[in-house]
Amino acid sequence: MTSTSLATPENRTASPATMQALATLNDRLAAKPAAHLRVEKLSIAYSTARGPFHAVDDVSFEVKPGTNLGLVGESGCGKSTVIKALIGLQPEGTKVSGQALLDGQEILGLSERALQDVRWTKISLITQSAMNSLDPVYCIGDQICEAIQAHESVSRATAWARAEEMFALVGLPASRLHDFPHQFSGGMRQRTVIAMALALNAGMLLADEPTTALDPIMQSQIMSRIRGIHEHMRRSMILVTHDIAVVAETCENTVVMYAGKVAEKGPTTDVLARPLHPYTMGLQNAFPRLPVKGQPRQALISIPGIVPNLLRPPPGCRFAGRCPFATERCHIEAPAVTAVGAQSAACHYIDRAPEFREAAARPETWRKLGAGA
Amino acid sequence: MSDLHTSRPAIDPDARPIVEARDLKTHFQGRSGIFSALAGVKPPTAKALDGVDLRIRKSEIVGLVGESGCGKSTLGMSLVRMYQPTDGRILYLDDDITRAEGRRLKDYRRQAQIIFQDPYSSLNPRLTIGQVIEEPLVIHDIGNAAERRERVVRALDLVRIPAVDNIDRYPSDLSGGQRQRVAIARALVLEPTFIVADEPVSMLDVSIQASVLELLDELSRKLGLAILYISHDIATVGYICDHVAVMYLGRIVEEGKAEDILSAPLHPYTQRLMAAIPRMDPGDTAGRAEIRGDVPSPMNVPQGCRFSSRCPYVADLCRAVEPELGQHPAGQRVRCHIYGSEGAKRFPDLQRPEWGRITEVTDAGTLAQASS
Amino acid sequence: MNQPSSPDAAAIRGRSLLGAMGQSLRLLTTDSFAVVGLAVLLLFVVIAISAPWIAPYEPFKAMMTESGRLNRLAPPSSAHLLGTTSFGNDVLSQFLHGFRVALLVGLVAAVAVGLISTIFGVVSGYFGGYVDDVLMRITDVALSIPTLPFSIVAVALLGPSVENIILVITILFWRNGARIIRSAVLTERERVYVKWARAAGASHLHIIMRHILPNIVRVIFLWVTMSVAFAVLTEASLSFLGLGDPTVISWGQMLNTAFSSGNLRTAWWWVIPPSLALVLLVSSLYLIGRAYEEQTNPRLRRR
Repeated sequence: MTSTSLATPENRTASPATMQALATLNDRLAAKPAAHLRVEKLSIAYSTARGPFHAVDDVSFEVKPGTNLGLVGESGCGKSTVIKALIGLQPEGTKVSGQALLDGQEILGLSERALQDVRWTKISLITQSAMNSLDPVYCIGDQICEAIQAHESVSRATAWARAEEMFALVGLPASRLHDFPHQFSGGMRQRTVIAMALALNAGMLLADEPTTALDPIMQSQIMSRIRGIHEHMRRSMILVTHDIAVVAETCENTVVMYAGKVAEKGPTTDVLARPLHPYTMGLQNAFPRLPVKGQPRQALISIPGIVPNLLRPPPGCRFAGRCPFATERCHIEAPAVTAVGAQSAACHYIDRAPEFREAAARPETWRKLGAGA
Repeated sequence: MSDLHTSRPAIDPDARPIVEARDLKTHFQGRSGIFSALAGVKPPTAKALDGVDLRIRKSEIVGLVGESGCGKSTLGMSLVRMYQPTDGRILYLDDDITRAEGRRLKDYRRQAQIIFQDPYSSLNPRLTIGQVIEEPLVIHDIGNAAERRERVVRALDLVRIPAVDNIDRYPSDLSGGQRQRVAIARALVLEPTFIVADEPVSMLDVSIQASVLELLDELSRKLGLAILYISHDIATVGYICDHVAVMYLGRIVEEGKAEDILSAPLHPYTQRLMAAIPRMDPGDTAGRAEIRGDVPSPMNVPQGCRFSSRCPYVADLCRAVEPELGQHPAGQRVRCHIYGSEGAKRFPDLQRPEWGRITEVTDAGTLAQASS
Repeated sequence: MNQPSSPDAAAIRGRSLLGAMGQSLRLLTTDSFAVVGLAVLLLFVVIAISAPWIAPYEPFKAMMTESGRLNRLAPPSSAHLLGTTSFGNDVLSQFLHGFRVALLVGLVAAVAVGLISTIFGVVSGYFGGYVDDVLMRITDVALSIPTLPFSIVAVALLGPSVENIILVITILFWRNGARIIRSAVLTERERVYVKWARAAGASHLHIIMRHILPNIVRVIFLWVTMSVAFAVLTEASLSFLGLGDPTVISWGQMLNTAFSSGNLRTAWWWVIPPSLALVLLVSSLYLIGRAYEEQTNPRLRRR
């Protein structure tokens, strides 16, 4: 028994006419295809008092219709910045360049008006802060209905019925639609945010750290819910997380970001089985794992040093300062992205990856760089 | 320097504990306003910590795991006397300090230190690193300025932060990992014997978590510190702890040697906690029973077994009697009727829970037995 | 600020409560509006201190014309730069002396208000519980006092003197400050380093002096700045209503005399200087306050 069973509510109160309208609405929404997203050379610079902060630099990736892309990296690597720019939520004065084509339509730099047409209907966002944007004086159901009715010409009863259906999908009782935002617990809030993101069956879902800071059990419940929905509805999705194991369990493709740049990308199984970039190797070995009976415990490594200051990004590879394999070349010359099959990485020594992988599993390798990080 | 994958030296189980909790209870009385207090309205009580026994020995790291609201932080805070326990005893080297006051309490505070989760707000932004670490010495009026400085430098050395470059810097100049090291140095400067580390790495990036865990491991060996390591992440517990206690709603539901519990957890709750950890190699998550809902409020503890409202194997017996923490042949102690209990002997008529027999919950909230 | 130092230096460096106050002042100089406000305030202080020496006449001395008659309501001339009042007093001299009362009332009242509201706010917010309940109920009662009727009645009963006016202003304005400072303390009290300090065995006084006060200095400064403005305005209002101290001259009193003698509309030289000075003083204080608020409230902080 898993929580992925996608029940439809049985004891509906709606009238036959509403049910008919709902069926039409559902058909119309279901006909929406999963979106295709192509991000090309995306660069984002925040303006600060001390000059531009190059949060994202020359990032390219693609989300094929119906697939699930994991965007991983530690805090400050630019992963959330990418998501904010995709949905037009970057702070004022931010310089965004490059392209992001959603089903062929450029979505960077859209006007507020045009953004309203795109958000919810074509691209929707799942974040932990999404609940904070809800109005505390209206019940949840009203607010979901308002969003549905803003984009679809249906009656309120129909919109409500749709909201009930979305609640059932995320495993919340329909009666809770009458509740107010503050009456929800952490886990229920997260489910509500997912239900809202699904309400108009957007072709592209952006999940920005949907489970960070939740308890492990809650996290696993929410993640299995998200996985179930993804399998059931086959929307395209980007999952942003610092947790490489969540990506391993959830995503077909992975992009590993470091200090605003793509370090490595490719099919998740390849990236995790044969990482090409030393940063990916480090991230993987830093992840605490449960002991397997009868096997020696794997060492837990830590990557010494800190992320470079992106007000003045270093000229060479951005990971060079923390990389145990870095040479002089790495500090001077920025590595180009090199492909190996479906996988690619930005590292000068991609051909030495098998050798690096072996060394990266040993804590001594990383310790040579000095302690005190 | 120690490696986290080499096993820790064995702790003598008969060694005298540095800190011991005996049937410790900390209840929080909801505070009512002045008027309702005068009117005699009783505020509700939250039984955050409700009868816990725990021992921490020299050089030992005890892991305490559970979801938020299970009482693990309350236990940590009670042990350092930040919360006044309602009942039970805290022994420090066999000395009962549960209700110590004044001089005795201040002496205990020198011996028992705490490290908090948030490295960003645990250091006063207006003080330099030197001042931050010096503060405990000022509070306890130890040494003159020069001696204090020497001790601060020594504490920074212990956490491997170069004193020359950092002593006059402000917390905002440091990374999260460095701040957490400063917080640890501040705890060490009084040369304590016992440290409570409350989620010390859960707000740090994965890439630097290991270095902080390694530091705790090293300190326990080198300085003989008794450490209570509190975490919701049972995976990190496996790396540094000798002994693990799993808490649920104010009580320990399973405890024993870290390797026993992590390789073969017995309690359904421990099993679920372990299953919740995302795996790097997908595919081994199948066949796990989902537990339902959220942790009940400690103001409204379920009858019988505290886990009965969420347990997939719940049976009538579970809802009638709370099982005791019993010794299991596998080595650890577990609080569950599945493994036999006094309650099972006293109520032979009630249905007992069994492995693999999952109890379904219908939408109406009533329980029905489903054959699996 | 962060130059490396040798670790053998004798003591540990850092800044304390005084440092926090100095830092607050330095912050002001980065805001151009606040610099203007500070400049005006400084000018006013200089005038107030030097008033007896720069004022051409005694403020209450009756001026005579050459023909020996009282020089009433003379428009500005070279002898009387701002003309004379209906009692033949020199307006410029009265105006200059007015700076003293305005600033005296403003500063003394503000310091008293700042002190009382800080003590109330810190004790109430830091200790919480029943202490907080009791202190805040007292504050609530104080908050229910209507400002103008209370000040009129109180000054009328106590007698019109500068001290009584300051007392009334203090009674009226500590209450809002106490609430504001209390809420700042409530935030500070929850900081992890405060929790830590308690666990380390620090005394309440230590925690308040080292961790709470330095972090709320800005809030206190903001409130004191605003209180100066309130106090100056209240003194002017009371004096305008005829409840001012008859032995000293203040701007409110000048306006009151002009009004009661029926010359408010005609003798512009008598009315404009005190009004303008009031507006200037209060707005310079608001400019300083606004700059503070911007620093205290990160949401207002400009990028």
